Amino acid sequence: MRRKQAKIATDPVAFEAFYRRHVDAVTRFLSRRVDDPHTVADLVAEVFVAVLDSAHTYRADLGAEIAWLYGVARKTISAERRRAYKQYQLTDRVSGRRTLHDDDVARLEERIDAERPARRAFEAMADLPEGERAVLELVVIDQLTVTEAAHALGIRPGTAKVRLHRARRTLRDLPFVMDGAPR
Amino acid sequence: MRFEEQLLMELKEEVGARAERRRRATRRLFAGGAVAALAAAAAVAVPLLTGSEPPAYAVSKAGDGTIRVEIKEFRDADQLERDLRQAGVSTDVTYLEYGTRCEDDRGRIVGGAESVATHDAFRDSASAKAARPSGAGVDIHPEFVGQGRTLVLDFSENPAWTPGAPTVRWQYRARVIEGQVKPCVVVDDPDAAASGS
Repeated sequence: MRRKQAKIATDPVAFEAFYRRHVDAVTRFLSRRVDDPHTVADLVAEVFVAVLDSAHTYRADLGAEIAWLYGVARKTISAERRRAYKQYQLTDRVSGRRTLHDDDVARLEERIDAERPARRAFEAMADLPEGERAVLELVVIDQLTVTEAAHALGIRPGTAKVRLHRARRTLRDLPFVMDGAPR
Repeated sequence: MRFEEQLLMELKEEVGARAERRRRATRRLFAGGAVAALAAAAAVAVPLLTGSEPPAYAVSKAGDGTIRVEIKEFRDADQLERDLRQAGVSTDVTYLEYGTRCEDDRGRIVGGAESVATHDAFRDSASAKAARPSGAGVDIHPEFVGQGRTLVLDFSENPAWTPGAPTVRWQYRARVIEGQVKPCVVVDDPDAAASGS
């Protein structure tokens, strides 16, 4: 049985509409986690390639598109972190970089600057258990609802709620942890 | 061109290539004849050009049938293709990085490859007559494109250009192609500035 592909992976017009809806959000999502414009640009490309690879898991009716997309982006970025570690060991692996014009770089640097508080928040969360940190991240920093965050992470909403509660309790002295959508 | 637009173009090529691979695989899969009928894929996607951005280009039609395209920004090539189709001419538009071009083989050139091989020959070719440079874009003459044929246009914008600068702002190449148009394979074009239109 062949996997059914969502239209965004098979129809260039549908893909373009999807891309235009979300390319800014994806760029911001990445700018909250990575502070180098070239890496952000490369990751934007990788996330949308991953969208094509994962399109069989895409269901337009299953909650917000953005939750699914952030789920894909999270997986991509953790793959990137693994690779960054590998690159550190192999030093000269810099091929596959996108070429950016100066104004691209300037725009991305602005984005990255604007997301500086979010990157600080990440540092504060670093010691939380992975499962709790993931939920807190998506709710507080990326502004998903708990249900959307659960969807992005592939866990049940109840589980997400519990983890969010625990994470907030651990970090209750930090000002930002109660931010984010209520549900 | 912004990197987001460049990336979109590359990704859409990838979507097209994947769809083609799947179609081929599906044909093989159903070649045994066990399946009676395949439902026609009839759905039409509606493009959403959201927003407050000013249009990237303008298309207008003159009384003599000439279609004028004025390009303000090199983005939304697909929408431009759709608008031109609506105006009655089939086109394939590619926006490229300066210093690159599409590989020559885009399909069967009307008048033969020799009709675009030299500047002198090109002047009299259907390709040259179908698209002519105008102030801020090109004038398309549909009568030189014709039915069942596609006007293939690729543009590259010079990032060094600023208003008033004495350099080439952008250049384009036009080819009228009979039948199937092959996708653009981007290659380096070291003498971009010298080759002109």
